[in-house]
Amino acid sequence: MIAPGIKRGTAELAVLSVLEDGPLHGYEMARRIEEQTLGSLRFTLASLYPLLYRLEKRGWVRGAWETSGTGRRRRCYRLTTEGKKKIAPIRREWAELFRALKRLTKVSHA
Amino acid sequence: MPDWEALVGEQFAAISLEPEERNEVIAELAGHLEETFEQLCRQGFSEEAAVARALSEVKSWRSLRGQIQIARKKEDGMTDRVKQVWLPGFLTLFLSMMLLMVIQFFGPKPVIVSTSGWRMTAPVAVIYVPWLLSLLLIGAMGAYLAGRAGASPRAALLSTVFPVLPYSVFFVIWIPVSLILDDHISHNTMPSALLMGLVAWVVLPGVALLAGGLPVQIVRSRHAASA
Repeated sequence: MIAPGIKRGTAELAVLSVLEDGPLHGYEMARRIEEQTLGSLRFTLASLYPLLYRLEKRGWVRGAWETSGTGRRRRCYRLTTEGKKKIAPIRREWAELFRALKRLTKVSHA
Repeated sequence: MPDWEALVGEQFAAISLEPEERNEVIAELAGHLEETFEQLCRQGFSEEAAVARALSEVKSWRSLRGQIQIARKKEDGMTDRVKQVWLPGFLTLFLSMMLLMVIQFFGPKPVIVSTSGWRMTAPVAVIYVPWLLSLLLIGAMGAYLAGRAGASPRAALLSTVFPVLPYSVFFVIWIPVSLILDDHISHNTMPSALLMGLVAWVVLPGVALLAGGLPVQIVRSRHAASA
């Protein structure tokens, strides 16, 4: 498992990346992130929603209420044009950080 | 199954949001807890254990309430684009217009340049030298404000030259129109007058703005690279 402090920094990228595949509501987003990271990144309600609201305020994602086939109302989030533009620079920053850490600590992929 | 909305509503009664927004947040969080609970029940947890586990997603309701309140506050509803382009852009445009007005009223006489040299025959370009000099500072300010808001080099460049954009739009529209109308209404004076205007109101101010803004951008990018 990854320590909470490190996870916090990756949260924006995780959410933006998972929304790249299409709109999702909060619960599904948390589930997908957990699945796709094989459980290394896990978002709880308390960690996910403040982040989603911050991203929404920045204009990177937009939430809208939708009714599912079962009649359940959920707030679905989708990436805005601005959000889509943000992914590439954030990815570059993280890639740069990983390269730097790798050089520094000699940590390498297993 | 517990009434999730009531449960979350109780915790969020004191949140400082508009009632409609508060209800939205409560409904959304309650929906999340309900889905978590249902999933846990499907996995074989007893109802009691599933409720406890779903509620363990929130360690401190007070802290969550505070975080959501800050995140949803409306006072800073500006997007990055507003902070990085529109705000510095309109500020520099406003300042440059005000300065131009002040200089036209109280400043020294403008330099008047004619296409026919120093003989003052139309068309002429009216150049306010103090205004052009002030644009160095305004361009620097636009680049600084955009950079401080985290603008990309392109967005910072746009903020830098923003004060000349209205003039540019005017000339971009009017030059082709004048070329069409020229044959019918005058003796080939319009294109040359527009060209003079383009130099006086777009090219020279644009150069001045860039001369002020580019060094700021260069310094900022070097600073960022060394940080």
